[in-house]
Amino acid sequence: MITLDSISKSFGGTYAVKDISLAVGNGEIFGLVGPNGAGKTTTIRMMTGLLRPDEGKIIIGAYDIVAEPIKAKSILGYVPDKSFLYEKLTAREFLAFISSIYNVEKSEALTRMERLLELFGIKDIEDELVESFSQGMRQRLLFTAALIHNPAVLLIDEPFMGLDPFGVRMLKGVIRDLSSRGITIFLATHSLHIAEELCNRVGFINKGSLVAIKNSEEIKNIEGGLEGLFLRMGS
Amino acid sequence: MLTLLIKPKILSVKNSVNTRIVMRRLPFVAIGAGFWILFYIGTYKVLDYVRGIEFFGEMLSGKLFSMTFFSLLGFLILSNIITAISSFYLSRDIPFFLSKPIEMRDIIRLKSFETILNSSWMVMSFIPPVFIAYGVSYNAPLNYYITVFAAFMMFILITAGLGIIIAHILTRLFPAKRSRDILLGLGIILFLALYFILKSVVPHDISKPEDFVDSIIRFKTDSFLLPSYWITEAISPLLKNQKSDIFYLLILFSNSAFFLLLSAITGNKLYRSNIERIQPSGKSAGKFLRSFYPERNMALIYKDTKIFFRDTGQWSQVFIIGALIMVYIYNFKSIPMDAIAGLSPFIRELMVLINMVLAGMVLSAVAARFLYTSVSLEGEAFWVIRTAPVDMSGFLWSKLLYACIPVSLLIVFLVFVTNLAMNVSGILMSTSVATTLMLCISVSGLGTGFGAIYPKFKYENIASVSMSLGGMAFMLIAFSVVIVTLSLEAWIFYLHRIKLVSGFSWQSTLCAVLILLINTVAFYLPMRIGQRRLQENSGVI
Repeated sequence: MITLDSISKSFGGTYAVKDISLAVGNGEIFGLVGPNGAGKTTTIRMMTGLLRPDEGKIIIGAYDIVAEPIKAKSILGYVPDKSFLYEKLTAREFLAFISSIYNVEKSEALTRMERLLELFGIKDIEDELVESFSQGMRQRLLFTAALIHNPAVLLIDEPFMGLDPFGVRMLKGVIRDLSSRGITIFLATHSLHIAEELCNRVGFINKGSLVAIKNSEEIKNIEGGLEGLFLRMGS
Repeated sequence: MLTLLIKPKILSVKNSVNTRIVMRRLPFVAIGAGFWILFYIGTYKVLDYVRGIEFFGEMLSGKLFSMTFFSLLGFLILSNIITAISSFYLSRDIPFFLSKPIEMRDIIRLKSFETILNSSWMVMSFIPPVFIAYGVSYNAPLNYYITVFAAFMMFILITAGLGIIIAHILTRLFPAKRSRDILLGLGIILFLALYFILKSVVPHDISKPEDFVDSIIRFKTDSFLLPSYWITEAISPLLKNQKSDIFYLLILFSNSAFFLLLSAITGNKLYRSNIERIQPSGKSAGKFLRSFYPERNMALIYKDTKIFFRDTGQWSQVFIIGALIMVYIYNFKSIPMDAIAGLSPFIRELMVLINMVLAGMVLSAVAARFLYTSVSLEGEAFWVIRTAPVDMSGFLWSKLLYACIPVSLLIVFLVFVTNLAMNVSGILMSTSVATTLMLCISVSGLGTGFGAIYPKFKYENIASVSMSLGGMAFMLIAFSVVIVTLSLEAWIFYLHRIKLVSGFSWQSTLCAVLILLINTVAFYLPMRIGQRRLQENSGVI
């Protein structure tokens, strides 16, 4: 469902991402972990079309994100690490706007809106302006917006940012459920225990290069688990 | 401490300046310099003409000088109130400063400094040609230029002090979290003030030229209580090679110190509690059109319209534009057309042309505020559009329609009403309305495209985007399109009505083709480049 084929990206002559290749299958939860500045966010931003790779190809579903951006984006859901939103819209208006630009039919959009607002626990504040939302509420709204058009691929940068323990638990359940329904999840995170708990496979990125990919079975057999591996690779 | 607090802003500017950016902005600087020179020449010519009028010349020239300061007084106070509300209460860095061990008085000093700078830089940039034109016309000594600079700085400080005090009090008076009401109140005060000023100072009978001149002379800008009077009195003697009146300079100095001090005292008393009152929390937006679900093509326009009415930062300047338009229509209504019609056979046509030039000026300014900023309005939430299946061409067109329709309606209405006030009808009315509509469309495309070529997604207040270097450059280019179009149209008129050329003329055909070509290019080219830039420059947000 996701293919990264030798992608590279540099800023001012310095590689932020260098020659990364990987493939993620249908319904798989893939985690990208690495130290600060390793290239996780740059990789995800290239996959969303926010940045263009200098070299290589990114295929989402059957579409090249550079050559066929509209088709690729229509099957993508994205939750960024920074929650910049339209502050003067209410949560409900924001969701209606997102549904419209993804061409979701009205009655279908309203049904999904109700279900997702309930699921993410923001139904009771749906008519409040986003500007008054806490970080955790914004994160919940971002997830709601990313799922409103039933994406085939969900890209998440730091999924648990600002969430309380209830939120974290709920979100873990949602991610597992989405995966079981065939939705491909690609997440970048610092939370190693969550990556270890949720992901089918984990990729380690350091200084822009993908240094290793381990599946959950392999991680279990590593001394010190994911954290031990992370510390050894990151050093 | 103030130096320390300002340092991050200075460093940010320093770090963002590099050769590439300087080279990219160089054309804008050149356009600004060109406009500066034209402004100087224009002021000098007007002054030369006014001073040459028998009996009234010198008096009118002095009156124009004091009217300039009187207008600047009103403009700067209003600009300072709006900027102070934004800088003191809506800035993003406020939570950062409040959470640090910084004395409140230092934050107030920093915010006052920002207010003064942001509210008056435009006036400070474009007023020198007027002062220089006066100096050259009167052959004033060097002392004049030094005094005018010092006096104007003090004048600016007085208006800033007043603006900041009013901003604190307004924020205090109105209920918590209602900055929208504060500005609404401000707008009503402004309209009432303008209405009464105009009603009281302009005589009812201005049907004769003498009465018209008399009404300008009697325009009461010279109350000794006004700072505009003090600065006029401090500078005027120097124009005539007389000694400056030190009394008025001292008044300006003491009042600038007084109002700054009073603004600091007001800030110390009110700022802390005001800032707590305006924090957003659980604010419901009402349920107006809650169930409305826009189609894909309308979604962006619907979203932008909704945000526009909720965001005070976006519509606060509507008041300034509203006041300008009111004064504009009033002025045209006051023109003694019957009295001046005898001066030349084509005076009505000339007035229609002047009206269109002025409307073009308003169009450029309004387009800078609403069309040039329309792409930047997305702010840092632009990632939502960039990651959605939205075609950039469709995005730009929706931005164009969002602002083009109201702006065009406003400007066409303005020309239509002022034409009616001058008893213009027939071909003259239809040509001027059609030309205005064409200019509205081409300038709208120019503004939207320019805004996409030079977007600024990180801003404190959207008004600051239109006042940026790119915004100013757009305004000047838009006005140039207006001037070239109207000059060509005037040439066609000249050929057929004054030179009495009848039938086909290659010159008028060429002019008509050029008009269409210039307006098509002004509309299409920036839209095309802007679309490509948004599509290709993926690092834009």
